[in-house]
Amino acid sequence: MKILVTGASGFLGRAVVERLLAHGEFEIRCFVRPSSDLTGLDEVRARHPRARLEYMVGNLASSDDAHRAVDGIEMIFHLAAGMRGLPASIFVDSVVASKCLCDAVRNRLRRIVLLSSLGVYGTSALGTDHLIEEGTKLDSQPEKRNVYFQAKIWQERLFRALAAEGRVDLVVVRPGVLYGKGNPSQGFPSRVGIAIGNCLVMLGGTHTLPLSHVTNCAEAVVVAGLSPTASGRSYNVVDDDLPTGREYVKGYRQKVKKVPAIDLPFPLAMMLSELVEKYHARSHGQIPAVLTPYETSTMCKGHRFDNRNIKTLGWQQIVPTVEAMRETFEYLRASQNGHRR
Amino acid sequence: MHVQGLRRLATARIVAVCDREPLMAEQLAVRYRIPKTYSDFYDLLAIEKPDVVHIATPPQAHFSLAMDALDAGCHLLVEKPLGLDASEAARIMTQAESRGRKLTIGYTYYFDPAARMLRTLVAQGVVGDSVHLESFFGYNLKGAFGPSILADRDHWVRKLPGKLFHNLLDHLLNQVTEFLTDEKPLVQAHSWQNAAGSGDLPDELRVTVVGNNSSGDRTSAYATLSSHIRPAQHFLKYYGTKCIAHLDFDSSTITLDEPPSLPGVLGRLESPFVQGWQHIREGGRNVFRFARSDYHFFSGFHYLLSQFYDSIVNDQPVPISYREILRTATLVDEIVRQLGAPRTATQ
Repeated sequence: MKILVTGASGFLGRAVVERLLAHGEFEIRCFVRPSSDLTGLDEVRARHPRARLEYMVGNLASSDDAHRAVDGIEMIFHLAAGMRGLPASIFVDSVVASKCLCDAVRNRLRRIVLLSSLGVYGTSALGTDHLIEEGTKLDSQPEKRNVYFQAKIWQERLFRALAAEGRVDLVVVRPGVLYGKGNPSQGFPSRVGIAIGNCLVMLGGTHTLPLSHVTNCAEAVVVAGLSPTASGRSYNVVDDDLPTGREYVKGYRQKVKKVPAIDLPFPLAMMLSELVEKYHARSHGQIPAVLTPYETSTMCKGHRFDNRNIKTLGWQQIVPTVEAMRETFEYLRASQNGHRR
Repeated sequence: MHVQGLRRLATARIVAVCDREPLMAEQLAVRYRIPKTYSDFYDLLAIEKPDVVHIATPPQAHFSLAMDALDAGCHLLVEKPLGLDASEAARIMTQAESRGRKLTIGYTYYFDPAARMLRTLVAQGVVGDSVHLESFFGYNLKGAFGPSILADRDHWVRKLPGKLFHNLLDHLLNQVTEFLTDEKPLVQAHSWQNAAGSGDLPDELRVTVVGNNSSGDRTSAYATLSSHIRPAQHFLKYYGTKCIAHLDFDSSTITLDEPPSLPGVLGRLESPFVQGWQHIREGGRNVFRFARSDYHFFSGFHYLLSQFYDSIVNDQPVPISYREILRTATLVDEIVRQLGAPRTATQ
């Protein structure tokens, strides 16, 4: 089976390619951008002599490139997304690229595994400790979310519309916060809090962080993609035995760097968010609305996530959380010291 | 930036946004509660009949969109560069004048509060005539703005006659031309690709300009555009016959290097304290502006917007003279010609 992986050179993309190879899928087209660093993929190829990796360079937001990407492909793992930059760039790289991909695949039924996020759920009004399951509705007010999640929600809507027309066999994987060695994002997971200068403001640190180690997440993506019973379904992906935000920060301070941290209980975090939002409006955007009550209550309220459904497909956590935390902190410490490995 | 700026203006109401990609228009409309979206510019002009059109498309589309908007009777704010070259810019200006419409360009930093202060100091004779100018625009191409260009071989920036530089040269040069009087000063430009790597794009530019100041004396300018600077730096140094003014666009401050008041070595002792005091004074002024919610990153652009809309409402002169815009475009043309970039055919 010939498989397309978009975003293949990224943090998760490399791991997905590796897990596909581990599952015996050797013929993989890796769609990458002209500026992509292919070192990681080259290393994966070197570890798997039977791999037949094809690097295709292009831009999914170009209709021609999207059609070229899916030509002769039987299954698609769509991981590419805009992660940073201007809001318009994030939308182009996530939403417009997805639209082009949808247009390219609509004439032949194929399975698409869409990488979404736990952040797409509309959890703002749900109570603390509420268990967020795959049937929870998507956020109906994406304009109130940060641009990354707005784009993720729009992206999922596009593919759901295509699936509703019966034009694609859609599987949606919604992982928590990715972490692990090689993560280009060197900061704290967004659900921990926000960094202001060198100081971390923790928002509701007593809640369990929905983390997913990159290898575990990649395994979930591949298991869901290759499973016949996953057709038309969505899967939340988090690891087992996860730390709270406070425990994560404690480990970070012990093993990476002693950063000053303010631990705000959730009610105070909400008050701070309201202040920031009001000041943003009153000052006509003199400071960005980095905190809003809607985003804070969506992301930091302490909702629970589980991985029961992905386990029914046979997914197992490959990297135990203790090992994943150790590996992540070692990597971050090496990066902080300028010795990235 | 345009939408955010317009939302602060009492004289403007956004009626619609347009993008060839409907999803892009829709996401902007949803985020800023704009009532209507279009993917066809001519439908927008015909149905909404707007008084003012802001053109923030890639520059390759500026000329045709601007001409059509002027034909439809709209006033225009066009992002820099106004056209792909001075010829396109001149034709847009001629059309605006013949239609009796107002036109301005998105010179984001031109009216920064510190830039306005420099203009005042020069007009008051505090700095003296310019002997030399130093304009510096440095940023990190791998920061927020560059990756989308690097990751797309067909990005519109790559297709500009002056490629990466073309989109930034107005910021670098408009305050150089402001203090020169020549229509076509002498220019020498050099560019190369930094070892830090930007793919296939030249990303370092050095320009030397020689012309005349307002007193008719010879003056010169160095302009530097760097794509590998951390942190970003954007400043203009005005070397005058009386003192040197340092305009820092990043912090929106202006400081003066004046001859020391104390003699000999005491003057050398005095200088850092005088400089320190000026920075404290400027910092304090900015804190005051911040407290009054008047310290936005794009304060200069908001000032430009309010001046432009006032010029429309009260039928006053536009905030930036067409001659100034054209002289900057001519300078850009000459730099692009020297860099040897192939010119794109114009209308």
